[in-house]
Amino acid sequence: MAIQRVTQNMLSQRSLFSLQNGLGKMSRLQEQLSTGRVLNRPSDSPTDTTSAMRIRSTLADVRQYGRNANDGNGWLSQIDAALTSANDQVLRARDLALQGANEGVAGPTAREALAAEVDQIRAGMIDTANSSYLGRPVFGGVTAGAKAYDATGTFVGTPGAVNRTVNVGSTIRVDVEGTTAFGPTGNSVFDHLDALSVALRAGNQAGISASITALNADRDQITTTQTEVGSRQLRVEKAIQASQDEDLRLSSSLSEVENADLPKVIVDLQLQQTAYQASLAATARVMQPSLLDFLR
Amino acid sequence: MSTFASLNTALSALRYNRVAMDVASGNIANVATDGYARRRVNAESVGGPDHAAMWSRYVGAGDGVAVASIDRMVDPLLDIRARREHGNQAYLDVRQSALERVEAGIGEPGDSGVAAAMAEFRTAWHDLANNPGSDAARAQVLGRAATLADALRIQARNIDTEAGDQRLRIQANVAEVNTVAADLAATNKSIAIANLNGTDAGVLLDKRDQLALRLSELTGASATARPDGGFDVSVNGVPLVAGSQAGILSVASGINPDGTSDGLPITYAITDGAGTTALPSGMTGEIGGVTDLLTTTLPAYASGLDAVAQELADQVNAQHALGFDAAGNPGGVFFSYNPADPAGSLAVAITLPGEVAASSVPGGGLDAGNATALAGLAGFESSYQRLVNGFGTEVASVKRLAANQQVLTSQVDASREQLSGVSLDEEMVSMLASQHAYEAAARVMTTLDSVLDTLINRTGLTR
Repeated sequence: MAIQRVTQNMLSQRSLFSLQNGLGKMSRLQEQLSTGRVLNRPSDSPTDTTSAMRIRSTLADVRQYGRNANDGNGWLSQIDAALTSANDQVLRARDLALQGANEGVAGPTAREALAAEVDQIRAGMIDTANSSYLGRPVFGGVTAGAKAYDATGTFVGTPGAVNRTVNVGSTIRVDVEGTTAFGPTGNSVFDHLDALSVALRAGNQAGISASITALNADRDQITTTQTEVGSRQLRVEKAIQASQDEDLRLSSSLSEVENADLPKVIVDLQLQQTAYQASLAATARVMQPSLLDFLR
Repeated sequence: MSTFASLNTALSALRYNRVAMDVASGNIANVATDGYARRRVNAESVGGPDHAAMWSRYVGAGDGVAVASIDRMVDPLLDIRARREHGNQAYLDVRQSALERVEAGIGEPGDSGVAAAMAEFRTAWHDLANNPGSDAARAQVLGRAATLADALRIQARNIDTEAGDQRLRIQANVAEVNTVAADLAATNKSIAIANLNGTDAGVLLDKRDQLALRLSELTGASATARPDGGFDVSVNGVPLVAGSQAGILSVASGINPDGTSDGLPITYAITDGAGTTALPSGMTGEIGGVTDLLTTTLPAYASGLDAVAQELADQVNAQHALGFDAAGNPGGVFFSYNPADPAGSLAVAITLPGEVAASSVPGGGLDAGNATALAGLAGFESSYQRLVNGFGTEVASVKRLAANQQVLTSQVDASREQLSGVSLDEEMVSMLASQHAYEAAARVMTTLDSVLDTLINRTGLTR
């Protein structure tokens, strides 16, 4: 632009324009500093806004997946503990059966005592099978009731899987149906313990040894179930770890997109301040003199 | 040649320089007046007659100086350019300020916007899936759903409010256009009369230029000069001011007199003596900017929001209907909305926590398959992200355009100021020059006086 004629108005308007410009830039930087964010509205960068919204949404999901997995871990730990206890109890019952099978040692009174203990073990097993997590029986499937087995050892739960979503489209079953761990009703560990107790009282050697075989099979069943629960628990723990890692990674990506780079903003602000002061000084110098100062 | 001719010459110089000082002081007085174009006095020397009279001969050597004209220092081409750029600037400024207001109401990206509400809604379904027997988890789903519906409704209402405000603004602007047009017509008349009388029309011309500029800012109107000195103004090719006659701009459709929308696109018409002419679309200026906001930008965002709300409600309802509530009954309608205004009427239809269909099997067990499926719905979320992205892009583009236009407009203004602005230094210089010329002319008179004194009183005296 060739300037031929410069008037006082032009000078003052230019000064005002550049002062306003400088102040505008300072206020943007000040906003970034005080909010700590470079993205304060969608138009600051539409693309980054979309990224930020996606990351925020994924972050919420990942945190929820972590919570789901933690909850699942609670279930599986409870099941693991219950199965360990059940295993011990079956082992004890089998030992008692072996004692009862030893004819030379066990008289009727002794067998009666053994049978009484087996009854106790059976009651304990039912309690174990009714273990609950946060008020829900862990072996009861999706039952709304508080028990998986009634006092007679009959399965009263509702078959159905309790799943926890630990990633997009990935669920882990966190319950074990009672019939899988303890055998179907009629052929369950409780029935076998019952049979053992009856056989002990009656001194029925064939019955006792049949019970021993059955209890051995039950123990295998419980151990197998426990192994499977263990492998599921491993998955859940990995999911928890993955969710924590992902949380960290996404948070840092989010901060990269949304948050202000403080040293850079502070340096920019310093530069703007210098520029602003310079334009103030220039304004002060340019506005003051006029021909009037030099006329008598 | 008369003895006294030089006295008259000196007198003309005194007169001329007084006028020059008047003009300079007028310029200095108006140094900060908006729309004032500096005046410049043009001198011309007075010589002999162009055509000698019969039996006579001019023997003088010039008869002094006279004021030839007092010019307004303006460039009509620059003025036309300035009107056009100001019209564009006003168009973009209006859009920018309105869109920034709407954008501030969106609140993305953040912890309190619609996107955050959607994420929390999903989280609530997950929590319910973990805990299907808990009434608290069910109530939380309902609470978060209500929050999400509120967030969408608030955005829809923000758009509505903005549109309502802008409709009122159009009415105010149209009223202003009519006032300014009437003023311009009156000024045109005064200018014509002043030109006939031969009086100085400078002040009227300043006023005329300012009124025409304001009309351009309001409507993007273009002005053409008339032979009698006035301006004819037309908006989009339809005459608004013709000489001393001003037409009336009115809203033909789209806005009811009470400021509400009548559902039709916004159109305008100008009524003058010849009848009513509809304006073609595509105005610039403030009215054009607001009209585009009301017909394109705001409805586009509102319908995008409606689509998001509808998608959300339809997806959730469809999945919810596949499940069974706590009592084992099939899931009912989860979100209700009015198809004419989905975002503005979105509400949670379920009131009892037990009616949330978390289970995917009938029978009232604690199955949570449907809650997990509902937690996995995500289509509406990416629709919303697209919507916000599109809007952000539009706002960013308007901001950039407005900033570019600002540079252009201020450059044109600077060019005008360069020509028309008053420079105090310059006025001081011309004032000093006039002062010196005045003093010199007075000295000429003194000298002539002394010459005449010698001639009259001393002729013949030898002592």
